[in-house]
Amino acid sequence: MRTWPTHWSRVIVVAILCLLAPLTKANAAADPALAYETVEPSRIKMGETAVIRVVSLDGYLENIQLPTVPGLSFEIMGRVQGLEFVNGKSIPASYILIRVTPQFAGVFTIPGLTPKSATVGLEVYTGDAPNPYAWRSEKPAATPPPMSKAPVPKGIQLRAGGAAFVQLVVPTRPVYVGESVPVDIELGIRPGIVTSLNGPPALTGSDFTLNNLSKEPLRRNQVIEGSPFLVMTWHSALAAVKPGDFSLSVQTPISVKLNTRSAEDQEFAARLGWPFSQIPYNGVAPKDVTIDSPASALKVLSLPKEGRPNDFSGAVGEFQVSSDTSSTRVAAGDPLTLRLHITGVGNFDRVDATMFDHLEHWKTYPAKSTFTASDPAGDKGEKVFEQPLIAGQPGEQSIPALEFSYFNPNTQHYERAQTQPIKVIVAASLADSSLGAPAEAAGGPNGVLMSQAARGLRADHPQPRSSVSELRPLYFQAPFLAVPAALALILAGSLFAVRPHPGRVASKAAERALAQLDAAARSGDPASFFEMARKALQQTFVARWQISPDQITGSELQARLGAAGEDVERLFALADEAKYSKYEAGATDFQRWLKVIRGQLLGDGR
Amino acid sequence: MRARNTIAMLIMGLALCGGLALAQTPETAQPSQPSQQRYSADGLYNLANSFARAGKPGLAVLNYERAALLAPGDADINANLEYVRATAHVSAEPRNRFARVAEAVSPALAAWLGVLGIALVGAGLLARKMTPRFRWARIGGVLVGVALIALTVSNAMLLRPRMRAAVILVNQTPARVSPVPMGDTAFILPEAETVTMTAEHEDFVLIRTRGGLSGWVARANLGAVVP
Repeated sequence: MRTWPTHWSRVIVVAILCLLAPLTKANAAADPALAYETVEPSRIKMGETAVIRVVSLDGYLENIQLPTVPGLSFEIMGRVQGLEFVNGKSIPASYILIRVTPQFAGVFTIPGLTPKSATVGLEVYTGDAPNPYAWRSEKPAATPPPMSKAPVPKGIQLRAGGAAFVQLVVPTRPVYVGESVPVDIELGIRPGIVTSLNGPPALTGSDFTLNNLSKEPLRRNQVIEGSPFLVMTWHSALAAVKPGDFSLSVQTPISVKLNTRSAEDQEFAARLGWPFSQIPYNGVAPKDVTIDSPASALKVLSLPKEGRPNDFSGAVGEFQVSSDTSSTRVAAGDPLTLRLHITGVGNFDRVDATMFDHLEHWKTYPAKSTFTASDPAGDKGEKVFEQPLIAGQPGEQSIPALEFSYFNPNTQHYERAQTQPIKVIVAASLADSSLGAPAEAAGGPNGVLMSQAARGLRADHPQPRSSVSELRPLYFQAPFLAVPAALALILAGSLFAVRPHPGRVASKAAERALAQLDAAARSGDPASFFEMARKALQQTFVARWQISPDQITGSELQARLGAAGEDVERLFALADEAKYSKYEAGATDFQRWLKVIRGQLLGDGR
Repeated sequence: MRARNTIAMLIMGLALCGGLALAQTPETAQPSQPSQQRYSADGLYNLANSFARAGKPGLAVLNYERAALLAPGDADINANLEYVRATAHVSAEPRNRFARVAEAVSPALAAWLGVLGIALVGAGLLARKMTPRFRWARIGGVLVGVALIALTVSNAMLLRPRMRAAVILVNQTPARVSPVPMGDTAFILPEAETVTMTAEHEDFVLIRTRGGLSGWVARANLGAVVP
């Protein structure tokens, strides 16, 4: 009788169970929660939509409140009743389908829509380029490529339930501070179980700097412990910032479906191989975890102080330098580009432009540098400095040799690289030679054109007889502007000089009034005489005392003139008397009053 | 009598001051050093002609511009300047009638006419203070003086922009967005183009074209009309 091996019977039973397992959407046996949600697909392009499927296994799902996530809009598509198969048992389930529409690209976290459900992640990208750091199990290894049966790499420690590992490979020899050391970072993930890579690997601690990792790591497939792994490798370079003994490791954030089945089941499923090995993970919500690599020891030595050049800027490696110029013949004032090429291996970020500091007799501008790496790690390549130079003086000039100091870790000594001097012929600039006769005839296309056109020029003028030393017009020259300015000042002074003097004006008016009074006295007209006399005196007093005519009273006159005030007051009274009562005055009276009036008009001015 | 003495002294002072200033003006100043550059309209014109014959339109236009500064009414200078510009395919801004009138006299003559105008206006005002006679003569003198001053001011206003003018001397001169040799090129200038200098920074000059474009040009690639 033919008997089946025991393990083959178990194979058949488990295979039947596994064929049913993909239909399940919840891992009810492992997860006591009776509601969960999934988003499919979990990575979409801008303009596409995803669907959140909220599943409830404990009866009708009440209305749920749509979440608020900036950048995402949610819309309930409908409800569905159905059955979920869990461990071969059918359980009534209630579904709510929600459409998710992104408004911009990014990685979004959608909170759980029921108290029992966990958060889900959605990544939205633009363009057609795939996210280099995202690996999705949308096609769960339907057609797995042929895999190499590589042995388990030494030093690998599987993390995240055996679904991933990360490894840092560093040199075993001691390195120097600042030295650029090539390192390899390997990250292995199990497709279908690790759902996404949430960032590039990063060094732990701050004692080292790591070059930017490539966004396109090398990829290969490898079987490790019977499971297929996608292994990504980054070639990079790190540099230590201080000496000492260090322990290095890298960390990588991933999202992984953590298997909670028994070890026996896992072992059995793994023995079945793909696709049965995937079955235990179906329906498990992914979880964000960070895995780290085993620690790698690295000894960092300090740079020797002995023999350190003064111009050492921290460059460590092996370098060669050379230089050239954009042209060896320039006009004075024309810019010239000096290019300095530094090639080799090392920390090019410490190779600076201080070697241009010794370019005497040349006007320099800030140099521009570009680095072209020749290996993925970025520690080999060529750095080119472009230094614009301007020669101020015409003649044969020399760009001196440029020196560059660095520390060579292979020879463990400081070394110096040097360029050769470059000779440059600097001609006088066109602007400087604009007043000199052209030395050469027409040459080139423009010259030929102008020579032909020169036939249409008008003839030269005879030799000039007069010349000036300044092209600037006279009225824009300060010495000449002194002429109109002085003329204007003199004319203003003259106008000031001929202005009428107030004292002289009053004196002339007084003389005119006395002449008129004298004439009236000779004619024997007392009315006119006294009236004119009062008017002249009032005008004089008003101007002299700065008061109004109404204020000139008898008391005011006596107060200001004393005894003479009485005469003036008497004269004012005679003026009224002569005007209204035919006052008759003799020649003696006229002379006496003329004397009084003259004394007041031409008097001491009190 | 005293006022007239004062005026006489002031006039003597004016004559002395004017004589000193005249002695300082470049028209009569003797070169203190043998190497000092001397300019004449005819000399610059002949030099520009030689540059034009040698196929250097930039230097030709530059020297025609300088010659025109000294003798704006010279028909030969203007004709050859327009001719060289046309040959080099460079356009120039046409002068309006006002500019032609104001630039009919040379700047040197306009400067002295302005001085004469100030003297006429001042003398007319002074005479009015001193005597009421010759009223129409006084008014006429003041009006003529004002006209002469206006002529000088107009001439100066028209020539003032040319104090900052420059001519591109190198064909395909790049005008950069920043005053550094590695600055990005904003536009290209043809040789013999006349531009306006608006600012300077080390070895570069910020220029503005007639079309309103601005950019930094290496100082060695252009020549200022007034050096």
